[in-house]
Amino acid sequence: MSTSREFHYRLPRRSGGWRPGSHPGSSLGAGQEFVSHVSLYDRPDPRRLDLRASLREVRGDWLVRVNRQRVSVPVHLIADVSSSMSFGAPQSKLQVVADFVTALGHSTFRVGDALGMLAFDAQERRDLFVPALLSRGVGEVMASMLTGCKGTAGSSDGLEEAALHLAGRHGLIFLASDFHWPLDRLDVVLDLLAHSYIVPLVIWDPAEIQPPKRDGLIPLRDVESGRRSTLWLRPSVRTRWHEAIERRRAELNALFSAHGIRPFYVSGEFDNEALSQYFFEATA
Amino acid sequence: MSGSLAFEHPWLLMLLPLALLPLLRRRRDTLAFPSTAWLPSDRIGRIIGWLWPLFAVLALASSIFALAQPGRPQTQVHRTGKGAEILVLLDRSRSMDDRMLPANWREIDPSLLLYHLGRGQQKAKVARELLSQFVARRPDDRFSLLYFSNRPLTVVPFTQHDPVMQAGIAAGAIGRGLADTDVGRALIAGIAQFDQRAYSGSRIMLLVSDGGANMDDEMMKRIRIGLARNRIALYWIYLRSYNSAMLDTTDPRWENAPEMALHRFFQTLKTPYRVYQAEDPESLSRAVADVERQQNLPLDFMEQIPRQDYSRVFVAIAAFSCAMLLAYRSMLLRSLP
Repeated sequence: MSTSREFHYRLPRRSGGWRPGSHPGSSLGAGQEFVSHVSLYDRPDPRRLDLRASLREVRGDWLVRVNRQRVSVPVHLIADVSSSMSFGAPQSKLQVVADFVTALGHSTFRVGDALGMLAFDAQERRDLFVPALLSRGVGEVMASMLTGCKGTAGSSDGLEEAALHLAGRHGLIFLASDFHWPLDRLDVVLDLLAHSYIVPLVIWDPAEIQPPKRDGLIPLRDVESGRRSTLWLRPSVRTRWHEAIERRRAELNALFSAHGIRPFYVSGEFDNEALSQYFFEATA
Repeated sequence: MSGSLAFEHPWLLMLLPLALLPLLRRRRDTLAFPSTAWLPSDRIGRIIGWLWPLFAVLALASSIFALAQPGRPQTQVHRTGKGAEILVLLDRSRSMDDRMLPANWREIDPSLLLYHLGRGQQKAKVARELLSQFVARRPDDRFSLLYFSNRPLTVVPFTQHDPVMQAGIAAGAIGRGLADTDVGRALIAGIAQFDQRAYSGSRIMLLVSDGGANMDDEMMKRIRIGLARNRIALYWIYLRSYNSAMLDTTDPRWENAPEMALHRFFQTLKTPYRVYQAEDPESLSRAVADVERQQNLPLDFMEQIPRQDYSRVFVAIAAFSCAMLLAYRSMLLRSLP
């Protein structure tokens, strides 16, 4: 994928960190964001001496401008590599995640963030672990790792295990999954990651949310459990299909919005413009 | 009656385990789906999902059964009927096309008799009608039908199936009568019909004729021996034509009539002989009714029940199952989007 697929992202809230970057930070330092004036004696940095403010100062102190420094944050991708993620008609959902992580690699390098990856299916996948790196090609490496892997059935246990590594850390976490596992533990995971800014990427293939247009019989096999079920597709089943999708979407929305998170839905192809839009809306 | 089932090619049944093949669940039959749990459950779909392997198994199994050709083997059934074996010798000569007198011909002015004669029914037609009623009323009897004129024509061999007999009788209406009446050869041919049959009860030869024949001694001897050998009772329904001999007459005028000669010969037989003289349709039907009353002795015979093949049933089942599978297949969606 070309670099044109990269997207813009900024954290909407301040995060700690000492490494200069492009996200609003909470530490003071070399930045554009003015905080306050401090006495030169308190902060002996004559480069930031503010003469106009010092003249206005009643006590005659020399005042120094104190600014906030923009920081870089570690960005992590928690990728679901369960077997349901390998489903998808033109390209598998895992391929969509790979596209995303390529774009993410370019985007993070451009703004100076380190990018790491954790993966899970039934358990955490240690073989797919990548520590947070500031490296130009890390996105492509992760993409190739993801496309080449085979997973088992997904579970929230695996996610919990992976999330423990990031518990209590600041940063930006992308949680890419189709959420085809019981959501009862997702609440706990979101609590674990509460210090970070979480962006859930709900990746669904159009084939699974859109029933076929033609009526007929579809013998289906669950790729994870192997359970078979035959569906006689007719208008009533089609409406119930749509209702089921909507119910799932509402369930996910409710779960995430309880934590102040808005999920980002990806269907079919990763759309970098839409993700940029998502961040614009979040920071606005 | 044995309800046993036998196979023509039993070794083909070794293929039967093949019928279980559709029960093997192959991934190719299905479409992968990430999570079926969130799809709506469809009871009809589930039933269809169960049914189609069932139909596939049924199609294979019944095809194999059909190939093995199951059937009830040929059996012989011992049956005891009430009726008799009746051979009907029906005169097909031209004189049978003549018409019969009305029932009250004795009261009619003799000068008008010819007029009435021209309006009566044909003898052959009346005889056929009565015979067919006779056959229909006696389902237990086995009949054989022989037409004769100057030579015997076997129409129906011994059978218990009425429709065949009725068709044979009806066939007599085709065309006009034939030239001559040779009772002797007809009797010989009739006796020969009984030759190869095991004696199983009453045997009757019903000669329906309107004329007699003079026979030579050789012929008479053969007939006498034949009737005695096969123990056949001879019933003669004599359809008397206008102006021909009454059999019971002693008038020397009729001394040389062929009917009288035949009657006298029959009377010399050692086997039972009975004659019914019928001048008009009513007396003919009386004669037939009389015969009907006469012979109701029990009759033993073996009936061959041919091998009954059941493979058609299995082929039908297989075809039906295949049709259902085709319907299933035509409704199938090959891909998700």
